[in-house]
Amino acid sequence: MMLNLELNINKETYQVSAYPGERLFTILRRLGFSSVKFGDEHGKSGSDTVLMDGKPVNSYLLLAAQAEGHEIETIEMMGEHPHQGWKETRGLHILQQEFVKTGAIQCGYCTPAQILAAKELLSREPDPTEEQVRDAISGVLCRCTGYKKPVEAVLRAAARLRGVEVPPIEDPIEVPPEWINSPFDDSIPQEKTVQSIDGTTLTAEKVITTLKVSTKPEDWQQVGKPKVKVDAVKLVQGKPAFVADFEHRDMLYAKVLFSPHAHALIKSIRTEKALEIPGVAAVLTHKDLPRVVYSTAGQSDPIPGPLDCFSLDNKVRFVGDRVAFVAAESEEIAERATKEIEVEYELLDPIFDSRDSMKPGAPVIHDEKEYVNFADSDPERNLAAEIRIDIGDLEQGFKDADHIFEAEYEVPKVQPAHIEPHAVVTYWDEDDRLVIRTSTQVPFHVRRMIAPVIGLPVKRIRVIKPRVGGAFGGKQELLIEDVAAHLTIATGRPVQFVYTREEEFIASRSRHPMRIRMKTGVKKDGTMTANEMYALSDTGANGAHALTVTGNTGHKAMALYVGSGPYRESPNIRFYADIVYTNTPPSGAYRGYGVPQGYWPLERHMEKIAHALNLDPLEFRMKNALRAGEIHPFSVAWSEGRDPVPEIIQTNGLEECVSRGKAAIGWEQKLSDKNWQDVPGTPYLKRGLGAALVMQGTAIPYLDMGGASLKLNDDGSFNLLIGATDLGTGSDTVLAQMAAEVLGVPLDDIIVYSSDTDFTPFDKGAYASSTTYISGAAVVDAANKVADSMRDRAVLILKSRAGEVDFNPDEIELSNSCAIAPNGQAVSLEEIALHSLHHANQEQIMAVGSFVSPVSPPPFAAQFAEVTVDVETGQVVVDRLVMAVDAGVIVNPVTASGQVEGGMTQALGYAVSEEMVYDELGVAREKDFRDYHIFEAHEMPVLETLFIETFEPSHPFGVKAVAEITMDGVAPAVGNAVFNACGVNVDQNPITPEKVWQELTGKK
Amino acid sequence: MIIEYHRPKTIEETISLLSREDPCTVVLGGGLYLNEKVKTQIAVVDIQSLGLDTIETKGNKHILGAGVKLQQLIDFDQLPSALISSVKHQETYNRRQAATLAGTAITADGRSPIPAVLLALDAELEIVGKNKQSEMIHLGDFLPFRENKLEGNLVIKIIIPSNTKTAYHYAARSPADRPIIAAAVSQWPSGRTRVVLAGYGDQPVMVLDGPDAGGAEIAARDAYSEAGDQWASAEYRADAAAVLVRRSLNQIAENN
Repeated sequence: MMLNLELNINKETYQVSAYPGERLFTILRRLGFSSVKFGDEHGKSGSDTVLMDGKPVNSYLLLAAQAEGHEIETIEMMGEHPHQGWKETRGLHILQQEFVKTGAIQCGYCTPAQILAAKELLSREPDPTEEQVRDAISGVLCRCTGYKKPVEAVLRAAARLRGVEVPPIEDPIEVPPEWINSPFDDSIPQEKTVQSIDGTTLTAEKVITTLKVSTKPEDWQQVGKPKVKVDAVKLVQGKPAFVADFEHRDMLYAKVLFSPHAHALIKSIRTEKALEIPGVAAVLTHKDLPRVVYSTAGQSDPIPGPLDCFSLDNKVRFVGDRVAFVAAESEEIAERATKEIEVEYELLDPIFDSRDSMKPGAPVIHDEKEYVNFADSDPERNLAAEIRIDIGDLEQGFKDADHIFEAEYEVPKVQPAHIEPHAVVTYWDEDDRLVIRTSTQVPFHVRRMIAPVIGLPVKRIRVIKPRVGGAFGGKQELLIEDVAAHLTIATGRPVQFVYTREEEFIASRSRHPMRIRMKTGVKKDGTMTANEMYALSDTGANGAHALTVTGNTGHKAMALYVGSGPYRESPNIRFYADIVYTNTPPSGAYRGYGVPQGYWPLERHMEKIAHALNLDPLEFRMKNALRAGEIHPFSVAWSEGRDPVPEIIQTNGLEECVSRGKAAIGWEQKLSDKNWQDVPGTPYLKRGLGAALVMQGTAIPYLDMGGASLKLNDDGSFNLLIGATDLGTGSDTVLAQMAAEVLGVPLDDIIVYSSDTDFTPFDKGAYASSTTYISGAAVVDAANKVADSMRDRAVLILKSRAGEVDFNPDEIELSNSCAIAPNGQAVSLEEIALHSLHHANQEQIMAVGSFVSPVSPPPFAAQFAEVTVDVETGQVVVDRLVMAVDAGVIVNPVTASGQVEGGMTQALGYAVSEEMVYDELGVAREKDFRDYHIFEAHEMPVLETLFIETFEPSHPFGVKAVAEITMDGVAPAVGNAVFNACGVNVDQNPITPEKVWQELTGKK
Repeated sequence: MIIEYHRPKTIEETISLLSREDPCTVVLGGGLYLNEKVKTQIAVVDIQSLGLDTIETKGNKHILGAGVKLQQLIDFDQLPSALISSVKHQETYNRRQAATLAGTAITADGRSPIPAVLLALDAELEIVGKNKQSEMIHLGDFLPFRENKLEGNLVIKIIIPSNTKTAYHYAARSPADRPIIAAAVSQWPSGRTRVVLAGYGDQPVMVLDGPDAGGAEIAARDAYSEAGDQWASAEYRADAAAVLVRRSLNQIAENN
């Protein structure tokens, strides 16, 4: 029976019909209030927040009927764009303005909820403390920001609402004076020779970009400045910017029947009952679909991994594997239909422990005949990939050592846990081309990879990536696009498929869990002579990213310490790994891409060695750390399944990172104070400090390519079309800043659009810490070409004005939206645009740029942690995290520091609270945000970011990457701080209370 | 699936609805639990119009309406600080605006801080049933039989003492994570001491209700000596339980 409800929403009355059990969330979405987002089924994410009678509540947990008689408020009534043509608007609310200015918005998915919660706070407490702000927004999870900037935004808004002036958002970074004359370090050799692992001699060359930027760093107006994100105003209003906000007539809703068994054959499957349910449009099983083997890994062609996946198969390989697809008129009907599908399974022996995978007689998880090997994969042994890298002479290195240190470590499976779930909409357009609107990091890979799976050529597929509500690697995957596509093909109708939070946990991708063995040779003086790591990596039921994730575990982590003295020139390093199948949900990409798994054992191990040899842990590390001018040791050995090319490290700010980080956290004074570790009045609490050094990479050399196109408009503004995918990281903004810098225009004259495979140039997508570097250089390339065309046109105009003047176009400076000749004569870009489009020798000034790099310059960082350990219960509270990072030139200090704060917060979960555990039947323990605990606003440690800028000469603006390195150091730094606090070593993260207690009590 | 929604204005009407056998009819408080969990066809009775959202103090008792929202407990500044701590620990600000006290108590699982503290306070529930008579029942007697006790009945009040000293301590992976082990202890002026543990199982467990605190740590250790699951071993929980009970008792002693 339907209820006729009268709902008061944003001061207006709505007459609606609703089922008794219909959620307020559903009604609001149906009415078009797109700011209210789905995040989870339990009200933990809070992205579904609305104000009810002024109080923040979770609309997904309220019945629409409960809301009758109350005033509902969404962010749609708070403010609007300040400039809407001739119409006067009230502009954005001060809270919205401050969220925009402070960089509190990254992906923007949770932003409307945070602002509503803050609005309620300020209505009752105009002068809140930070603690009150954190409590007020505690019900809104943010996976991007680490909450620091949202809290700052609320406090600033509160001040402004009280009439108190707030300071401008300052640029904390000054251009180092040495760049002004020469940004390039002449001490770096032009070339170095090095032996490859097969004994041949290779030459590494210093790489200086051929792309030039005409202005000098000290004159930059856009790059290096805290500019407002180009998408912030849209996101702060809760505009319909995400996949699920897209509406289409006759839309069907998809659901998947997931396997309840970890390993089984489908003996029979019957769909008749499901199809009889009114409103069910299609039910698809493995019998209905072509059997096309593929990999879900969103990577460049050829995929560096085995092909071992089918859209639907007659075998299931983990609890949560796909059994059937349903499309129906509503999600509820589709869900009901999945329950009516009758499946008979033949259970097979499962493998849950990676140590069992390669044992003789183990069940074979991939026995399908279509399996396509890559490199050393061997499905008969459940081996998805194998890595054997030897650099130098390891055995000689161990012989040279005075001490050998060996230990085993373990890292867990964890989830990216983006707040926007995976979401896709598919439909046929008027040309019978399939449009896939999807929340993805890799739109171009999706188009290429899905084509054979659904039986369409690439040219008949268009992939559109709207705003993405966080991804962190989880959307570097062809994960659910094929489900909706198959159902659209079957029904001819648009299909929307959005994962629930439980589905995210049981059926998406997670960080590879690993068991890692370390063996290190060290001389008495702390010189490392040999370093060995073996990783047993669990790829789960499919091998997507198996080789490349685990390869990076060694490639990035084991490259940091080369040894001292002669070992520095010729390090002895071994990295071996076996990446094996188990009957658990597939592992995949997650921010850091294998590297956090490497730094947990490496940096815990280094700490133990320093302690055992009574060495200062940071001096010991720096003595052996890779330096500028040296060869990246792994660059001679491995490159994601492709031929390696040696690389010289050209910039390395690690030493200053250590120095500045130590000062920021008070390293010397705290550790020299014998009373500092005690907490007065609570003898069972002990404080500790820990550190970890880390390096990452910046893109994949000779592979990752980004493209950009730039077009001049009539008014001197530009359309910047990029295939790069902004996941909330701010990449659209920093790419626009680079374009604006080259073109001499303000940022808001750059209109950014990304991404659409029909319109934007190719870009490999957002992964491998590559966008600012790779796509940024592509933008510079395009901008330089457009700039050259505009200079030519300016000379033409000036000549037409002044007669016989003869300017060299290269002398024309682009600045303040003008082309300025050496004699001071100027032509505005608008004049250039009108002249070129309408007046004479008409042409469209437009260019396409692209970039691929021969190197992957590593960012470096020193991570510090301060903790308090309860030595009776083992509970660890992290009080402060400081990260000093050399990420090259920081294009936007606000968005970059936001990356660091958010990354450290995710890594904090990896340190103490996040893990995915399965029972003896392979059923997940973590299926929601109650059991899978990610940090909330009111429990955060103090976060501090320090940028140690270097100028990376392989990039026109000197940038390196910042997004992923933030994931690497927190867990080991916390582990080392726990050791400092109470003298115990926990070698398996997360560092739970019981693990600390076991070590303290000797009950392990 | 919710097939009927009712919002009665009187207790009588509510009881009448709850007394129906078909469809199965249950109380809707804040709705957080029901809207998450409901899988079968039910009718719901929303109690928001019954005026059950008042808090008052009479003599040595705080009388808390069943429909009181968790945030109201925080805003009412006379309740035991341990109860407030447990509220802040269990629910974030959003959920505190909708979740009702009775709903939270009734739907407790073993890792729920608020019911643990209520149990330590020896909270009493006033329940109105089919015969329109009200009945008082201790939370400790109610929880093990809650499904039966709720059939056709409505919790209208929860009553806690106002003259106890109460402490709540826990261990978790992070400050806002659900407790792996928690202890709630209340002590009356007479010395009567109640000790409750949480962090495991289907509901918090009362491990001591004695004239004094004697043997509390041992009782706690014994009570959780087999409390092992995927989240923690029994050995850890038993040891940490004793620690947290000792701390709670120390805190109460210091406050005296």
